[in-house]
Amino acid sequence: MSLAETSSRARMRPRFDADRLLTLACIGLPLLGLILFFAYPMVIVFLRSITVGDSYGLGNYTEVLGSSGFWRATRHSLAMGGATTVLSVLLGFIIAHGLYRCAFRGKWLIRSVIVLPLLAPSLVQALGLIFLLGRNGVISRMLGVEIEIYGFWGLLIANTLYALPQAVMIIGAALVLLDARTYEAAEVMGAPPWRQFRDLTLPAARFGILNAAFVCFTITITDFGNAAVIGGDYSVLATEIYSQVVGQRNFNMGAVVGIMLLLPTVISYSIERQAMKRQQAGQITGQEPYRPSFAPLRDISMAALSLLICAGILSVIGIVVYASFVTLWPYNMALSPKHYDITLAGGYSSLWMTIFISLAAASGGTVAVFLMGLGLRRLPKAVAQPIQILAAMPAAVPGMVLGLAYILTFNSTATPLYLLYGTAALIAIVNFYHYHTQGFLTVMTGFRQLPSALEEAAGSLGAGLGRTARDIVAPFIAPMLVSVFFFLFMRSMVTLSAVVFLTTPDLSVAAVTIMRLDDAGLTSQAAAFSTCVMGVVCLAVLSMKVTLALLRRRGANKGAT
Amino acid sequence: MYLTVRDATKTYGNFTALDRVSIEIEKGEFVCLLGPSGCGKTTLLRLIAGLTDLDGGTITLEGATLSDLPARKRGFGIVFQSYSLFPNMTVAENIGYGLKIRGVRKDDIAARVQELLALVKLPQVADNLPGQLSGGQQQRIALARAIAVDPRVLLLDEPLSALDAKVRAVLRDEIRQVQRSLGIPTLMVTHDQEEALALADKIICMNHGVVVQAGTPEDLYHRPATRFVAEFMGISNLLAADTVARHFPDLVPTRPASEDSYLACIRPEQIEVTPSENGGAVVRSISFLGNLRRLEVESPAGPLLVETHGGSPYHTGDRVELSIAPKACTWVVDDTVGTEAVSA
Repeated sequence: MSLAETSSRARMRPRFDADRLLTLACIGLPLLGLILFFAYPMVIVFLRSITVGDSYGLGNYTEVLGSSGFWRATRHSLAMGGATTVLSVLLGFIIAHGLYRCAFRGKWLIRSVIVLPLLAPSLVQALGLIFLLGRNGVISRMLGVEIEIYGFWGLLIANTLYALPQAVMIIGAALVLLDARTYEAAEVMGAPPWRQFRDLTLPAARFGILNAAFVCFTITITDFGNAAVIGGDYSVLATEIYSQVVGQRNFNMGAVVGIMLLLPTVISYSIERQAMKRQQAGQITGQEPYRPSFAPLRDISMAALSLLICAGILSVIGIVVYASFVTLWPYNMALSPKHYDITLAGGYSSLWMTIFISLAAASGGTVAVFLMGLGLRRLPKAVAQPIQILAAMPAAVPGMVLGLAYILTFNSTATPLYLLYGTAALIAIVNFYHYHTQGFLTVMTGFRQLPSALEEAAGSLGAGLGRTARDIVAPFIAPMLVSVFFFLFMRSMVTLSAVVFLTTPDLSVAAVTIMRLDDAGLTSQAAAFSTCVMGVVCLAVLSMKVTLALLRRRGANKGAT
Repeated sequence: MYLTVRDATKTYGNFTALDRVSIEIEKGEFVCLLGPSGCGKTTLLRLIAGLTDLDGGTITLEGATLSDLPARKRGFGIVFQSYSLFPNMTVAENIGYGLKIRGVRKDDIAARVQELLALVKLPQVADNLPGQLSGGQQQRIALARAIAVDPRVLLLDEPLSALDAKVRAVLRDEIRQVQRSLGIPTLMVTHDQEEALALADKIICMNHGVVVQAGTPEDLYHRPATRFVAEFMGISNLLAADTVARHFPDLVPTRPASEDSYLACIRPEQIEVTPSENGGAVVRSISFLGNLRRLEVESPAGPLLVETHGGSPYHTGDRVELSIAPKACTWVVDDTVGTEAVSA
């Protein structure tokens, strides 16, 4: 080592320090997980897509691109994605506008109904539609008409119901950003209500609408549950992967279709992230919330429209619950609990297993993103940024592709990772990494709100990293951690797309069981099982609300003396 | 010397935040780092606190180098502009936190907290959460938290900037009182020259990452070394050498060298003004500032600012005579040539 090097090393201070070691562990462990359980499987799926026989080549791609089935599925996926996006953004804007820019009572009702589709596996919308509009559906029989619900239209409605909550939340968040003073200024300057809508509300929602459109498009083309249940002959890319892999055991071709599905989602996701940044840049602090005053024409029509949409959602979900109690749909409509006696497809064991897996994914995941956020704050920007980008990437990967990547990676005896294959741990892991981005970004939002002066103050009082994390950071972002925990739990309870490849005859999860029951023609039992899952998830929502309320109360009580 | 910073350098990319800055603090001294935003004063404070790493130079405390010591082991106290109380802890827990980390017994912590609450004149708020206190109260608690651990140095980063004028004045006096009574060497960052003049034993005036002048408040106000200091430390009339020679020849002998770039600096209250029918200057405008009046006078030497106390007999348009005593004039280096002029 030369003299110059020695002195520059001395300035860099390669000093042994427990805090630096702890920082390394904080960042290292979650990063290792990301690489092992996200980056590595994604590389494998790519390599498999270009594996032909014993060598690499583009043979699989030319074969897929030459098949009419692939092009039909692509056309269908794009058409379905486009139609669902237009419809759900339109309806989502109506509801968000009603909630945040109109004055009427009963908003709590709309708010609670609108999130219902998020609390159930995506195939529940499809099940509900079949009970309503299928051959033996309530509405079909009432009107005495034969509606062909399997196919484009059924899938469009099911997907729209599934995407709608996201659209409402994203557009609503954009509308909230525009504060009351802006409207007051416009009012004073003489702008009539329609001009305020056109010149203020719409431009404010612009990024929200764009963002919502990309999110709706992505979740539509990647969703598997609805397509599997109500798609019928209308094949889409997600079902195409499933039939390639599970139907024809053709893993390499499945990998090719997976990579093709990855393209639009990656593009859409990166545009969405850009839009989000623009929106955040426009944010101002210390705003005055907008309180709309009653305008009869606007508010009554908006309330009516919103309630109508909510009635639609409620009837689709409600009919599933109702049908699960009907003795023999549609011939004997007497109520009985007999469908809850599920013996096929492993009975309720998969429900308990799913709860266990979801708890594991939620607790492990929450700890992992917390440590990561803690470590990232202490890393130089040049190092932190690439890690942040990697941590935000899983959202761009459709569940089907991630699941496929897992089966290709962990079902191969080439590495000791094989030991994980077929275990509940692997399903918990895939669930966490499937929803890693959302959890990570939520925690990072919490960390951004934490003033660095708090940690610096603790530091100059003598607190090390461990102590600061426990006494200062964790209490500060506790609400975020609670949200992340329950988010991961609920998503793990209902997700189907990634886990569908990883279940075995001995180890199944709830959403897969529902699909199996429906496949076997036991629609009423599928409904009963769905109702149980929704019950568990609703319980989780309730616990989350109670926990967050307790956190607030504890804070308030502490200062009340 | 108690705390010594020698040749401290810090760069961010192409931007040099600090360029070989050296300062010294003696035991019990109250030192203010004064300068406009971006001058490097906060960076210097953070380097001393150990919150930012040095790129070059040394910091020593009683002869021992601090460079390798992380912030938590320096035993300093710090107060930020943004209060920065831990929102999840009560006032008492906030103040006692540093002692708790040091493993002090619970009873002793409680006693010390009560003592400190009395010192900052808030004995009733021990069980409140920070969010329930006003800004001024929060900042007092932050001060109590910083001094609870008997810090070797107290660092104050614009502690009064977020408060409104009245509270600021009261808290300013209290900080001074507490610091005097405890004798803690204190370094405060501020951009408010009035605050620095009122509080400091020594002011270190900074600009563009270097120390421009260090000295007592009297020194900096009455004997500024450069145009920047003169303009930053209150209002001044700056006259070029040839203007002085033509209109105030009495002042020429006070000039230190025959350097043309020197400017004469005369504070507005140092100019004597007398009403005179055939005086060479005219009152252009009058600002009433309560305890004094500031006149803008058009004189043969150019526009000048003059301050008078007591009931002023002047009106706009009055003719006046101006005179300046030689000892009222200081010559300063014009260091703002080529850069944006900074006026107070």
